[in-house]
Amino acid sequence: MTVVPPLELTHFQAFLLFAVVISVAFGFLGRRRPKDRVKYILWSLFLFLLVGIGVGWAMFPFSR
Amino acid sequence: MDEPSQNPPNDGTQSAPPAKDALAFGESRAFAFGIAGWLVPGLGHALQRMWGRALVVFLAVASLVFAGASMKGNVFTRQGNDAFDTLGYIADMGTGSFYLFARAIETSGADVSHADGDYGTRLLATAGVLNLLAALHAYEAARGHKA
Repeated sequence: MTVVPPLELTHFQAFLLFAVVISVAFGFLGRRRPKDRVKYILWSLFLFLLVGIGVGWAMFPFSR
Repeated sequence: MDEPSQNPPNDGTQSAPPAKDALAFGESRAFAFGIAGWLVPGLGHALQRMWGRALVVFLAVASLVFAGASMKGNVFTRQGNDAFDTLGYIADMGTGSFYLFARAIETSGADVSHADGDYGTRLLATAGVLNLLAALHAYEAARGHKA
């Protein structure tokens, strides 16, 4: 039986994977026209990154 | 060419049963698409010839499940210790057949003592919730709601 090697991602890589996959899925499910989909995907990806990094920075003073 | 009508005049009472049957059939069909979409991510859309959405849902759920299980995330089982385990199990079951795929990948069990395992647990739950959302979308689309 083939054993899948463990995947090691940094926090940012895991966060980026989540943001990209969810943005694309939401874009395709929520919009019909290709142009609207692209706009939605880019906008939601930007907001994911902005909020994620923003929250990360906001927690920095409490990280130690 | 005019043919004599075989149907009695429509006084409003004769057409009600077929319309009701059609409505019930449409509802059952939509429900079946929703269940199909839950069992196999993207199938609910594929059956309605929404190929782009079907492909994206399938790939999104597959990639999240694969990444989550490869990162040794926790694939919850029915034997949970608390409410959070039960919620995790419900979320993981949202992936439908991919739940078995996650169990098959994670042969050596979860390891949430490291951050990777914790991220993996979240990615698995995300895959399940995303698939439930997509199945609901397929159901609504089959009912004729704008989607």
